[in-house]
Parts: sequence; C-alpha cells; structure tokens
Amino acid sequence: MSINHLIVQNLKKNIKNYFLYIFALIFTVALYFAFVTLQYDPAMDATKGSVKGEASIRAASVLLVAIVTIFLLYANNIFIKRRSKEIGLLQLIGMRKSKIFRILTLENLILYSSSLAIGVFVGFSVSRLFMLILFKITDVEADATLSFSTEALKQTIVVFACIYLLIMLMNYLFIKKQSILSLFRVRSSTEENNRKVTVFEMLYGTAGILLILFGYYLSSRLFNGDFTSINGLFIAMLCILASVILGTYLFYKGSVRFLFYIIRKKKDGYLNISEVLSLSTIMFRMKSNALLLTIITTVSALAIGLLSLSYISLYSAEQMAKDNVAADFALASEQDAQQFKQALQEGNIAYTDHTIEVIQANVNVEQISEAKTQVLELDPNIMLTPVIRDSNTELDVAPGEVYFTGSNDLLRKMLPLKDSGTIELLGMNNTIPLTYLGMRDEFYVSYYYTSGGVPLAVVDDSVFEQLKQDLDPELQKGSSLYIGITIDDESQLEKANEAYKQANFMTPHESRLEMSSNQKRNMGLIMFIVGFLGLSFLVTSGCILYFKQMDESEEEKPNYTILRKLGFTQGDLLKGIQAKQLFNFGIPLVIGLAHSYFAVKSGWFMFGTELWTPMVIVMLLYTVLYSIFAFLSVLYYKKVIKASL
Amino acid sequence: MNILEATKIHKSYGNKFNKEEVLKGLDVTVKKGEFVSIMGPSGSGKTTLLNVLSSIDKVSSGTIQIEGKDMTVMKERQLAEFRQHHLGFIFQDYNLLDTLTVKENILLPLSVTKISKKEADLKFSLLAKELGIYELKDKYPNQISGGQKQRTSAARAFINEPSIIFADEPTGALDSKAASDLLDKLSDLNDKLKATIVMVTHDPVAASYCSRVIFIKDGHIFTQLTKGEESRQHFFQDIIKTQSVLGGVQHEH
Repeated sequence: MSINHLIVQNLKKNIKNYFLYIFALIFTVALYFAFVTLQYDPAMDATKGSVKGEASIRAASVLLVAIVTIFLLYANNIFIKRRSKEIGLLQLIGMRKSKIFRILTLENLILYSSSLAIGVFVGFSVSRLFMLILFKITDVEADATLSFSTEALKQTIVVFACIYLLIMLMNYLFIKKQSILSLFRVRSSTEENNRKVTVFEMLYGTAGILLILFGYYLSSRLFNGDFTSINGLFIAMLCILASVILGTYLFYKGSVRFLFYIIRKKKDGYLNISEVLSLSTIMFRMKSNALLLTIITTVSALAIGLLSLSYISLYSAEQMAKDNVAADFALASEQDAQQFKQALQEGNIAYTDHTIEVIQANVNVEQISEAKTQVLELDPNIMLTPVIRDSNTELDVAPGEVYFTGSNDLLRKMLPLKDSGTIELLGMNNTIPLTYLGMRDEFYVSYYYTSGGVPLAVVDDSVFEQLKQDLDPELQKGSSLYIGITIDDESQLEKANEAYKQANFMTPHESRLEMSSNQKRNMGLIMFIVGFLGLSFLVTSGCILYFKQMDESEEEKPNYTILRKLGFTQGDLLKGIQAKQLFNFGIPLVIGLAHSYFAVKSGWFMFGTELWTPMVIVMLLYTVLYSIFAFLSVLYYKKVIKASL
Repeated sequence: MNILEATKIHKSYGNKFNKEEVLKGLDVTVKKGEFVSIMGPSGSGKTTLLNVLSSIDKVSSGTIQIEGKDMTVMKERQLAEFRQHHLGFIFQDYNLLDTLTVKENILLPLSVTKISKKEADLKFSLLAKELGIYELKDKYPNQISGGQKQRTSAARAFINEPSIIFADEPTGALDSKAASDLLDKLSDLNDKLKATIVMVTHDPVAASYCSRVIFIKDGHIFTQLTKGEESRQHFFQDIIKTQSVLGGVQHEH
C-alpha cells in the first residue's frame, strides 16, 4: 500500500465520519467569503452610509476571522485526538514522525482546498441573498447585483491559508510530543475519575449559583438610581460581568454536579435507564468541560443580547419616530410652515396642520419625585418643563390641576414620579401650585421642545396665560411655536417627504419618516453585522458541542453494549440519550438565554420602546437553530447504540 | 423440569462463499436449579454457545426454549424484554457501568420492573450482604478490586430473580483467592435461591463447583460429566482427566 493509497483511504473514511467537520469548514468559508464580498461591493456604499458603518463592517470581519480560527483549531484538536490510535499504529510499524506529519498535511491540504473551493462557490451564491436581506432590513432601495470580487477571493484565501498553517503547526506539535505509548493512551487519560462530591465542591457549587443570582440582582438595580455617577455605573457593570461569568464557570464546575448529586442521593441507588444515561454521565462530563461551556455560554449570551438590543432599536424605529415627532412633519416657525404648505399644495397633497404654543418653565416636583438620589447631575426637584394649553389637546384640565404627558420607559426609570401630589410651576416672580393628576402617554409636541424626553405639562388655558405673563426669558427655546403637519393620505407621504427634503427651512424641523428611516439604516446595518457574527458563532459552538458528543458517544459505546445485553432495548437507551442531550445542550442554552435576558432587561429602554416582541423573536430563533445540533447529535447516538450489540 | 431446552442448534459466521460453522447441531438441556458448566478448548465454540443460549446472538437454525418459550422466533424487542425479566448475566470483564455506584449498578435491572423502592432496597441488602459487598455500596467500580467487581456483577445478575443466569468466564480475570470466593458464593446462591446457572469456563477448578460439566469440541458435544454424590476433589480429578483426553490442538495426519 503506497502513501497515496493510504491518504485516499483515510480521506474516504474521514468524509463519512467527519461530514459535519467538513460541513463546518465549508460553512465558515462560505460565511467569510460572503461577508468579504459584501464588504468590497460598491452597491453596499448606500447602506454603509458613513465612515462608522465602514469601520463596523471591517471590525466585524476581523471578529469573524477570530471566531473561525478558534473554532477550526478546536475542531482539529478533537479530530487529531480521535486519530491518535491510527497515528500510533503507523509509528508502530516503523513510519517516521515526519512522514506521518506529511501524510496529515497532505490529507488536510486536500480537505481544506476542496472545502475552500466549495465554500467560495456557496458563499458567492448566497452573498446576493445576504445583500437582499441587508437591503430589506435597512430599508435601502438598491439593486442587489453582485460581481465576483477577486479582492474578496484573495482575502479569503490568505486568511484560510494562515489558519491552515496554524493548524498544521498544532498537528506538528501534537505528533512531536507523543510517543507510541502515549498515543495509544490519549483516550483514557482524559477520562474523568469518578469521585464523590466533596464539601469543597458543594461550597463552590453553591457559590456559583449565588454569584449568578447576585449578578442578576445587580443588573436589575443598575438603572434604578442606586448608582449615580458614571464611575459607579461602570464599576457596577464590571461587577455584574465578573460575578456572572465567574458564577457560570463555578456553576458548570460544581453546581450541576452538586445538584445532580442531590437528586441521585435522593434516589438511593434506584435509578431508571434515562437517569443512568443522563444524570450520572453529565455529572462527570460537565466538570471537565467547564471552561469550554463557560465560553460558549458567555459568548452566546453576548450574541443574543446584542441581537436583541439591535432588533429592539430596529423594531422600535417607527414608534420612536412617532414619539419624537408628534406629526408627520414638525416645524417651528410660521415662515417655514408657510413655505412647506405651499410646496404641498403645489404637489396636490392634502394635509392638516395644527399649531401649539409651547413655553418653558421650571417645575418643582419635589413632592411627587421618587428618585432617591441625584441622577445625571441634575437637581431632581427642579425640572425644566415645556407647558401647553389644555385646549390644544383632548384633555380637560381644571385650573389648579396639571397632567404630565409623553412619558417613556427611559424617563420612568430615570425619574420615577408618584401618581399624585402637588407640584409648583415656577414663574419669574410667582409660583403657581398645581395638583398633579398623573402621567399620560400621549405626545403632543416634538422632542425639540421636550429637550429630548422630559414630560410635557398640560394646564388649563388660564394657568397658561398666567404663566406666559411671568416667563423667564432665559429658559425659552428659540421657538415657542410647534406646527405639526399631518398628511391625510398616507400614500402621499413619500412625495411630501421629497418636498420636505427640498425645502429650505430656517428653524428646527423634523420629519417622522426621515427619522425612522435614518434609525432603520443605522440599526439595520448593526443588526445585520451582529446577526452575521451571531450566526457564525451559533454554528461553530453548535458544531463544537456536537463533536464533543460524538466523542462521548464513542467512549460510552461499551456501556450501551452492557445495557443492551442486560435487556434494555434501543428505544430505552435512546430515550435516555434524549434526556441527556436535553441537559447537555439545554443547560448552556438556558443559562445563555437567562444571562442575555437580564442583560437586555437592565438597559433596553435606551435602545427602543418595545422589549418583549423583538427579544422573544431573537431568542426563539436562536433556540431553534441551536436545537438542530442537539437533534443531529441524537441521530449520531442512535447509530452508535445500534452498532453496540 | 427442564428450564432450558436447546435442540439442534447450528451457528455459522461468514457469507455463502466463506462459511465457518461454529456450532454443529448441539442439543443442550438444563434442569431447574442446576449449576452447569460448559468446557472446551479455545475455539470450540463455548462462548458462541453461551451467547446463542442467552439470546445475545441468533442461531442459524435450531430451537432454544427457556421456560417453554421459543426464543429463536422472538423479535429484537421481545428478546430484550425477555432478557430483562428472565435472564441474568455475569461477564469476564465485569461489564459494570463506571458512572454508577455499586448499589446503582446492582439495582439497574430492577428499574424496568414495577417493584417498589422499599422492596428493591430489601432485596439489595440481602444479596449484597450475602456476597459481602454491602459496605461498598456507595463506591464506584474503579475504586474496588476485581473480585469485588465480579461479586457486584453477580449481585446484579441475581437481583431480579431470573430463571437462568449465564456466566461467561466469571473467574477469568480474578486471582485464585477471589475466584474461589466468588465460586463459593455462586454455589451458595445456587443452593439457597434455587437459581439455575450456566457457566462457561476453561478453568477445571471453577468447573468442579458445578453439578454437571458439558464438554464441547469443534461445535459438538464431546461428553458430559455429572458430579452426583462425589466430592469436589474427586470431581475435579475427573474433569482433569476428561480434559486431557479432549486435548488442546489436534494435529491432523
């Protein structure tokens, strides 16, 4: 048998066994190539928008390389260990290490170059799809035509050639370190010794759970006014990160084992087959995989969290624009309004307009404020508040009373107010005490007048006139007039927006459409990049867990033989394996989801107006994609069990 | 009463063109409460016979009845169920699960029965004390000696009170002290529980503990020896004699 024959035989065998590895290889190449193609495509300029967009794509491609490199190195590590017996055998029959290394190099070269070719082909075909998706979520209208970019090809080849060299270096070191004996022993030396759970383990098992809970608790207090200075916030965030990550590690290292130990103790030796296959094996495996699982959990939490946040922004873009701009178009002076109305009339666009007079005054909210401490270097008791007449709204406010309107989640967090009480309107000379009736959700004027988000006070006309006579001129904005223009026929909104863009306004002005599409463009790009990275991470971590399970199933094969001899059916065993995989894949997933839930929960209101729908969609999608790997691993186990007797 | 009745069992491996016949029409019967051992030189087919009798392997032709049920016509699923309820196993390499404690290993066959936990506990402590492994119940297999492992394996075989227990070279990996300990226990249990045991061995000492020894050679039954009222020493001598007649490798002329 010649060397070439040996290589061909090995390849044949490997393709069958390691199809997922090859799939992962092709997938990562395709993903990378698609990404780089997008990066170099001129059609992308529309979505990149700015230098920032360009930079974020570039940063993402570097991150992608990092993820791919780590994954491939890890996968290679698993696979070379699996083949250690074969390598030992070749050494035993007198083959020199350098020759074995040459065989491995050649084998991998064939594997890599063919995967690279297929991957580039696949990547090129899907990059158009990716581009369509990108255009869709950024609301950019452009033709998704792609040209094959040699630049992208070059970059892909260089990157993967470097990874290949790195992997060969690892293999070289691996082979060099091993003697014939140790090659045969690789499997058994990594096996975990079965020891009883020690007191120490119980201690750090409990500590792990407590640390995670503490991190969650801290995250829920993060923006409650407990941490006032930027420094304090920063330290709190670091604390959360440290305690959650350390907690996760200890959780895998001790808590899982500890919990399972308690369950087992309770059973007092009377375990059924599912428990035999799930509880008892996971107990010993999870500990040795603690570091890997911690990394996977943390990064998946990060990916889910970022995806959720960017999707929240994207999802809330329209609502946010609605809250910020109280009509389709908001203008601040009669001249501007006149000019725009004229343009609308010329375009035969029907519209309604209404004008609201807005004045600014300080309000003493000491009596209704629930803020514990000073937030954002402001005196929480004196608040610069825009004031409007109740006749401009559908509310009817008696003299001596006041409503606040236009609250949002960010404000509610930063400046919690009681439901009722007394406030004082501070004029230049006089103070008007008013009974506070509560907070309402409506937005009557644009965010120009509300300084970006403070509530708007609605008072009776008489109070308004009284205050107007007694104004502090220094507090007033450049304009005290809000002119909202709403287009009657929504289909003409685009056209109106064109007119808006061409007009030459002198005073502050806003277009709701413009605002929301700006937001969508920015967040869409970020969402796309995060999604891309998240997807590649999901696939790589799923593959790693799958490979681990492949390894485990081979190691546990003798156990299945025993159990089947004892009279357990394949179905019994498979049920146990399903339970096991539920834990094996479920625990990291659930913890990752919980981490990201608390992370998102603590600060989501800075990103948008809707928490649940976007977050749940992201989490569900992640769970579904992730479950595919659990499912595949069960299928693999099925094969192993079937072959075990 | 015959608990096991096998007639004309043939077993061959390989395909049409390259067939190797291992069992060539054996008839075996085992009575209830018997302690039978099967002996024979390497390659005589004794392990194959045990595997076939214990339903782990399928026969090529012939019938095997255990408690009047024909196992050769059973489906994979029925066979597994049959093994669970009616058969016990002891293997040369113990076949204990490393991830389970001694107690969990022993109670494993009971997990499929509807037996209450209390009753299972009772059975366990009785058997474990009998076999002298009660103190080890919370230890893992890699913390105990070979003899202890094999006694654990024996306890697992006895726990669900099977109709018949198959032992494949149970003393093969044990030193002589541990081996005789185990055999003492096995024949004790055979007496006390009226358990039927079929054991494959090539060790004459082990075989001398049995009530009957079946010698097979090249897939046929060569002869049988029954202990009767003889002393174990005497029976051992008989076995040795038969073995020397049987020989190891025969040279064809």
